[in-house]
Amino acid sequence: MAAVEAKPKSVRRAKYWDENVEEAYRFQLAGYRDEIEYSKFHPQEVIDRWPHNNYIKKLKRRNDGLFYYYNKERECLDKEIHKIKLYTH
Amino acid sequence: MATAVAPPLSRKGASPKAATADAFTVKAYTGNAKVSSPPKAGALEPRPYKPTDFRKFYDRGDFPIALEHDTKGNKIAWKVEIEKLDYHHYLPLFFDGLCETAHPYEFFARQGVHDMLEHGGKKILPVIPQLIIPIKNALNTRNVKVICTTLKILQHLVISSELVGEALVPYYRQILPILNIYKMKNLNSGDGIDYSQQKRENIGDLIQETLEAFERHGGEDAFINIKYMIPTYESCILN
Repeated sequence: MAAVEAKPKSVRRAKYWDENVEEAYRFQLAGYRDEIEYSKFHPQEVIDRWPHNNYIKKLKRRNDGLFYYYNKERECLDKEIHKIKLYTH
Repeated sequence: MATAVAPPLSRKGASPKAATADAFTVKAYTGNAKVSSPPKAGALEPRPYKPTDFRKFYDRGDFPIALEHDTKGNKIAWKVEIEKLDYHHYLPLFFDGLCETAHPYEFFARQGVHDMLEHGGKKILPVIPQLIIPIKNALNTRNVKVICTTLKILQHLVISSELVGEALVPYYRQILPILNIYKMKNLNSGDGIDYSQQKRENIGDLIQETLEAFERHGGEDAFINIKYMIPTYESCILN
Protein backbone atom coordinates (compact mmCIF):
# COMPACT_ATOMS: atom_id res chain seq x y z
CA MET A 1 0.00 0.00 0.00
CA ALA A 2 2.82 2.35 0.95
CA ALA A 3 4.50 1.71 -2.42
CA VAL A 4 1.31 2.70 -4.25
CA GLU A 5 1.06 5.91 -2.25
CA ALA A 6 4.68 6.72 -2.97
CA LYS A 7 4.12 6.61 -6.71
CA PRO A 8 3.27 10.07 -8.03
CA LYS A 9 0.23 10.75 -10.19
CA SER A 10 1.78 13.35 -12.41
CA VAL A 11 4.90 15.36 -12.95
CA ARG A 12 5.65 18.79 -14.39
CA ARG A 13 8.72 20.92 -14.85
CA ALA A 14 9.23 24.02 -12.74
CA LYS A 15 8.92 27.29 -14.63
CA TYR A 16 9.82 29.79 -11.94
CA TRP A 17 11.39 29.72 -8.51
CA ASP A 18 9.38 29.40 -5.34
CA GLU A 19 9.75 27.57 -2.04
CA ASN A 20 8.36 24.31 -3.41
CA VAL A 21 10.91 24.37 -6.22
CA GLU A 22 13.66 25.03 -3.69
CA GLU A 23 12.45 22.05 -1.64
CA ALA A 24 12.32 19.78 -4.71
CA TYR A 25 15.77 20.99 -5.81
CA ARG A 26 17.29 19.98 -2.49
CA PHE A 27 15.70 16.53 -2.55
CA GLN A 28 16.60 15.91 -6.19
CA LEU A 29 20.22 16.92 -5.65
CA ALA A 30 20.43 14.17 -3.03
CA GLY A 31 18.85 11.68 -5.46
CA TYR A 32 15.23 11.56 -4.29
CA ARG A 33 12.01 12.58 -6.02
CA ASP A 34 10.54 14.37 -3.03
CA GLU A 35 9.93 14.14 0.70
CA ILE A 36 7.68 11.08 0.35
CA GLU A 37 10.42 9.08 -1.32
CA TYR A 38 12.96 10.28 1.23
CA SER A 39 10.81 9.12 4.11
CA LYS A 40 10.41 5.75 2.38
CA PHE A 41 14.19 5.31 2.35
CA HIS A 42 14.76 6.72 5.82
CA PRO A 43 11.56 6.07 7.77
CA GLN A 44 13.03 6.84 11.19
CA GLU A 45 14.59 10.16 10.30
CA VAL A 46 13.25 13.63 10.85
CA ILE A 47 14.47 16.00 8.15
CA ASP A 48 16.76 18.66 9.53
CA ARG A 49 15.55 22.15 8.57
CA TRP A 50 16.70 25.74 9.06
CA PRO A 51 14.57 27.30 11.78
CA HIS A 52 14.11 30.74 10.20
CA ASN A 53 12.68 29.70 6.82
CA ASN A 54 12.13 25.95 7.10
CA TYR A 55 14.43 25.17 4.16
CA ILE A 56 16.09 21.75 4.25
CA LYS A 57 19.41 21.78 6.06
CA LYS A 58 20.76 18.27 5.75
CA LEU A 59 19.93 15.16 3.75
CA LYS A 60 21.45 11.72 3.32
CA ARG A 61 22.38 10.89 -0.25
CA ARG A 62 20.40 8.10 -1.83
CA ASN A 63 23.29 6.06 -3.23
CA ASP A 64 25.81 6.00 -0.40
CA GLY A 65 24.22 7.62 2.65
CA LEU A 66 26.74 10.49 2.72
CA PHE A 67 25.53 13.84 3.95
CA TYR A 68 24.68 16.87 1.85
CA TYR A 69 24.47 20.17 3.70
CA TYR A 70 22.40 23.05 2.32
CA ASN A 71 22.67 26.79 2.76
CA LYS A 72 20.44 29.03 4.85
CA GLU A 73 19.24 30.92 1.81
CA ARG A 74 18.11 30.04 -1.70
CA GLU A 75 20.41 27.61 -3.51
CA CYS A 76 18.51 26.79 -6.67
CA LEU A 77 19.83 29.15 -9.34
CA ASP A 78 17.68 30.39 -12.21
CA LYS A 79 19.63 28.23 -14.65
CA GLU A 80 18.72 25.11 -12.65
CA ILE A 81 14.97 25.75 -12.39
CA HIS A 82 13.99 23.98 -15.63
CA LYS A 83 15.70 20.78 -14.43
CA ILE A 84 13.48 20.49 -11.37
CA LYS A 85 10.54 18.08 -11.52
CA LEU A 86 7.52 18.72 -9.35
CA TYR A 87 5.58 15.56 -8.54
CA THR A 88 1.91 15.44 -7.55
CA HIS A 89 0.58 12.59 -5.48
CA MET B 1 91.81 62.68 -23.85
CA ALA B 2 88.09 62.00 -23.75
CA THR B 3 88.10 60.75 -27.32
CA ALA B 4 90.77 58.18 -26.42
CA VAL B 5 88.52 56.34 -23.87
CA ALA B 6 85.23 56.67 -25.71
CA PRO B 7 83.99 53.50 -27.44
CA PRO B 8 84.01 53.51 -31.23
CA LEU B 9 80.95 54.92 -32.97
CA SER B 10 78.82 52.19 -34.44
CA ARG B 11 77.14 54.39 -37.00
CA LYS B 12 77.82 57.81 -38.35
CA GLY B 13 76.25 60.36 -36.02
CA ALA B 14 75.26 57.83 -33.31
CA SER B 15 76.30 58.65 -29.76
CA PRO B 16 78.68 56.35 -27.89
CA LYS B 17 76.85 53.57 -26.03
CA ALA B 18 76.80 54.36 -22.32
CA ALA B 19 77.31 51.53 -19.86
CA THR B 20 74.33 51.01 -17.51
CA ALA B 21 74.98 50.85 -13.81
CA ASP B 22 72.84 50.31 -10.73
CA ALA B 23 72.20 53.44 -8.69
CA PHE B 24 74.59 54.31 -5.83
CA THR B 25 77.35 51.99 -7.09
CA VAL B 26 80.92 53.21 -7.87
CA LYS B 27 80.21 52.65 -11.53
CA ALA B 28 77.21 54.94 -11.39
CA TYR B 29 79.44 57.91 -10.51
CA THR B 30 81.68 57.55 -13.59
CA GLY B 31 81.18 60.10 -16.30
CA ASN B 32 79.26 58.34 -19.04
CA ALA B 33 77.47 55.65 -17.03
CA LYS B 34 73.75 55.49 -17.49
CA VAL B 35 72.11 54.92 -14.12
CA SER B 36 69.32 52.36 -14.42
CA SER B 37 66.03 52.75 -12.63
CA PRO B 38 65.64 50.88 -9.36
CA PRO B 39 64.17 47.37 -9.51
CA LYS B 40 60.47 46.84 -8.90
CA ALA B 41 59.57 46.37 -5.25
CA GLY B 42 57.01 43.73 -6.29
CA ALA B 43 54.57 44.54 -3.49
CA LEU B 44 51.66 43.33 -5.61
CA GLU B 45 53.43 40.40 -7.28
CA PRO B 46 52.13 36.90 -6.43
CA ARG B 47 54.48 35.04 -4.13
CA PRO B 48 55.13 31.32 -4.17
CA TYR B 49 53.62 29.26 -1.37
CA LYS B 50 54.77 25.99 0.12
CA PRO B 51 52.64 22.86 -0.34
CA THR B 52 49.91 23.09 2.26
CA ASP B 53 48.96 20.62 4.98
CA PHE B 54 45.52 20.60 3.42
CA ARG B 55 46.95 19.10 0.23
CA LYS B 56 48.82 16.44 2.21
CA PHE B 57 45.73 15.47 4.20
CA TYR B 58 43.55 15.49 1.10
CA ASP B 59 45.93 13.25 -0.87
CA ARG B 60 46.09 10.87 2.06
CA GLY B 61 42.29 10.75 2.25
CA ASP B 62 42.20 11.99 5.83
CA PHE B 63 39.24 14.31 5.41
CA PRO B 64 35.74 13.00 6.10
CA ILE B 65 34.58 13.99 2.62
CA ALA B 66 33.89 11.99 -0.51
CA LEU B 67 36.74 12.54 -2.94
CA GLU B 68 34.68 12.80 -6.08
CA HIS B 69 35.74 15.09 -8.87
CA ASP B 70 32.42 15.18 -10.68
CA THR B 71 30.56 16.90 -7.89
CA LYS B 72 27.05 17.83 -8.82
CA GLY B 73 26.62 21.55 -8.52
CA ASN B 74 29.07 22.76 -5.94
CA LYS B 75 28.55 20.46 -3.02
CA ILE B 76 30.72 18.30 -0.85
CA ALA B 77 29.40 14.97 0.35
CA TRP B 78 30.38 14.58 4.00
CA LYS B 79 31.02 11.12 5.42
CA VAL B 80 30.41 12.36 8.96
CA GLU B 81 27.84 14.85 10.19
CA ILE B 82 29.46 18.29 10.39
CA GLU B 83 28.02 18.81 13.87
CA LYS B 84 30.12 15.89 15.11
CA LEU B 85 33.42 17.10 13.63
CA ASP B 86 36.28 18.32 15.79
CA TYR B 87 36.40 21.98 14.74
CA HIS B 88 39.76 22.58 16.44
CA HIS B 89 41.30 20.04 14.09
CA TYR B 90 39.44 20.40 10.81
CA LEU B 91 38.56 24.09 10.51
CA PRO B 92 42.21 25.34 10.59
CA LEU B 93 43.11 22.61 8.09
CA PHE B 94 40.43 23.69 5.63
CA PHE B 95 41.50 27.33 6.08
CA ASP B 96 45.05 26.22 5.32
CA GLY B 97 43.82 25.05 1.92
CA LEU B 98 42.72 28.56 0.95
CA CYS B 99 46.25 29.15 -0.43
CA GLU B 100 45.68 26.49 -3.05
CA THR B 101 44.95 27.47 -6.63
CA ALA B 102 44.89 23.99 -8.22
CA HIS B 103 41.79 21.86 -8.66
CA PRO B 104 40.49 19.94 -6.73
CA TYR B 105 42.25 21.29 -3.62
CA GLU B 106 40.99 24.82 -4.15
CA PHE B 107 37.36 23.72 -4.54
CA PHE B 108 37.31 21.37 -1.56
CA ALA B 109 39.03 23.87 0.72
CA ARG B 110 36.66 26.69 -0.23
CA GLN B 111 33.51 24.60 -0.04
CA GLY B 112 34.65 22.81 3.12
CA VAL B 113 35.20 26.11 4.90
CA HIS B 114 31.84 27.36 3.64
CA ASP B 115 29.95 24.29 4.96
CA MET B 116 31.75 24.32 8.31
CA LEU B 117 31.04 28.02 8.84
CA GLU B 118 27.42 27.70 7.76
CA HIS B 119 26.75 24.83 10.16
CA GLY B 120 29.29 25.47 12.90
CA GLY B 121 27.35 27.83 15.15
CA LYS B 122 28.95 28.14 18.56
CA LYS B 123 31.83 25.81 17.72
CA ILE B 124 33.50 28.46 15.53
CA LEU B 125 34.32 31.10 18.15
CA PRO B 126 36.88 29.09 20.18
CA VAL B 127 38.80 28.19 17.01
CA ILE B 128 39.35 31.81 15.84
CA PRO B 129 42.94 32.11 17.17
CA GLN B 130 43.93 29.04 15.15
CA LEU B 131 42.52 30.51 11.95
CA ILE B 132 44.62 33.66 11.91
CA ILE B 133 47.85 32.15 10.56
CA PRO B 134 46.14 30.31 7.67
CA ILE B 135 44.22 33.50 6.80
CA LYS B 136 47.42 35.53 6.91
CA ASN B 137 49.24 32.98 4.74
CA ALA B 138 46.44 33.02 2.17
CA LEU B 139 46.44 36.82 1.97
CA ASN B 140 50.24 36.87 1.80
CA THR B 141 50.28 34.79 -1.38
CA ARG B 142 49.22 38.08 -3.05
CA ASN B 143 47.43 36.06 -5.65
CA VAL B 144 44.34 38.08 -6.55
CA LYS B 145 42.10 35.03 -6.91
CA VAL B 146 43.20 33.62 -3.55
CA ILE B 147 42.71 37.00 -1.87
CA CYS B 148 39.19 37.32 -3.32
CA THR B 149 38.24 33.87 -2.03
CA THR B 150 39.72 34.66 1.38
CA LEU B 151 37.83 37.96 1.58
CA LYS B 152 34.53 36.23 0.86
CA ILE B 153 35.37 33.66 3.54
CA LEU B 154 36.17 36.47 6.00
CA GLN B 155 32.81 38.07 5.26
CA HIS B 156 31.14 34.73 5.95
CA LEU B 157 33.23 34.21 9.08
CA VAL B 158 32.10 37.43 10.79
CA ILE B 159 28.42 36.59 10.34
CA SER B 160 28.79 32.87 11.05
CA SER B 161 28.20 33.21 14.76
CA GLU B 162 27.77 35.81 17.46
CA LEU B 163 30.93 37.46 18.82
CA VAL B 164 33.15 36.15 16.02
CA GLY B 165 33.44 39.66 14.59
CA GLU B 166 34.57 41.00 17.96
CA ALA B 167 36.98 38.11 18.46
CA LEU B 168 38.73 39.09 15.24
CA VAL B 169 39.51 42.67 16.36
CA PRO B 170 42.76 41.79 18.21
CA TYR B 171 44.03 40.13 15.03
CA TYR B 172 43.50 43.06 12.66
CA ARG B 173 47.25 43.70 12.81
CA GLN B 174 47.81 40.34 11.08
CA ILE B 175 44.97 40.48 8.60
CA LEU B 176 44.62 44.07 7.48
CA PRO B 177 48.09 45.08 6.11
CA ILE B 178 47.51 43.16 2.86
CA LEU B 179 44.05 44.66 2.53
CA ASN B 180 45.66 48.09 2.84
CA ILE B 181 47.94 47.33 -0.12
CA TYR B 182 45.11 46.27 -2.43
CA LYS B 183 42.38 48.61 -1.18
CA MET B 184 42.73 51.06 -4.02
CA LYS B 185 43.17 48.40 -6.72
CA ASN B 186 40.01 49.06 -8.61
CA LEU B 187 39.19 49.11 -12.28
CA ASN B 188 38.51 52.48 -13.83
CA SER B 189 36.65 51.49 -16.95
CA GLY B 190 34.94 54.85 -17.53
CA ASP B 191 31.37 54.07 -18.55
CA GLY B 192 32.25 50.53 -19.72
CA ILE B 193 30.97 47.41 -18.04
CA ASP B 194 33.20 45.84 -15.44
CA TYR B 195 32.28 42.15 -15.52
CA SER B 196 34.37 41.38 -12.43
CA GLN B 197 31.77 43.26 -10.37
CA GLN B 198 29.10 40.75 -11.34
CA LYS B 199 31.38 37.84 -10.54
CA ARG B 200 32.50 39.51 -7.31
CA GLU B 201 36.15 39.43 -8.30
CA ASN B 202 36.85 43.15 -8.09
CA ILE B 203 39.36 43.20 -5.28
CA GLY B 204 38.95 46.88 -4.32
CA ASP B 205 35.19 46.49 -3.90
CA LEU B 206 35.57 43.21 -2.02
CA ILE B 207 38.00 44.79 0.45
CA GLN B 208 35.60 47.68 1.05
CA GLU B 209 32.74 45.21 1.67
CA THR B 210 34.90 43.14 4.00
CA LEU B 211 36.03 46.12 6.05
CA GLU B 212 32.42 47.29 6.37
CA ALA B 213 31.43 43.80 7.55
CA PHE B 214 34.29 43.91 10.09
CA GLU B 215 33.11 47.29 11.35
CA ARG B 216 29.45 46.29 11.59
CA HIS B 217 30.14 43.07 13.50
CA GLY B 218 33.31 44.02 15.36
CA GLY B 219 31.75 46.02 18.19
CA GLU B 220 32.67 49.51 19.30
CA ASP B 221 36.46 49.10 19.01
CA ALA B 222 36.37 47.85 15.45
CA PHE B 223 36.42 51.16 13.59
CA ILE B 224 39.37 52.71 15.42
CA ASN B 225 41.38 49.53 14.97
CA ILE B 226 40.60 49.34 11.26
CA LYS B 227 41.44 53.03 10.86
CA TYR B 228 44.78 52.44 12.59
CA MET B 229 45.76 49.80 10.04
CA ILE B 230 44.02 51.34 7.01
CA PRO B 231 44.05 55.14 7.30
CA THR B 232 42.01 55.66 4.13
CA TYR B 233 39.06 53.69 5.48
CA GLU B 234 36.02 55.77 6.38
CA SER B 235 33.34 54.48 8.70
CA CYS B 236 30.16 53.08 7.20
CA ILE B 237 28.29 53.51 10.49
CA LEU B 238 29.41 56.92 11.74
CA ASN B 239 29.05 58.68 8.38
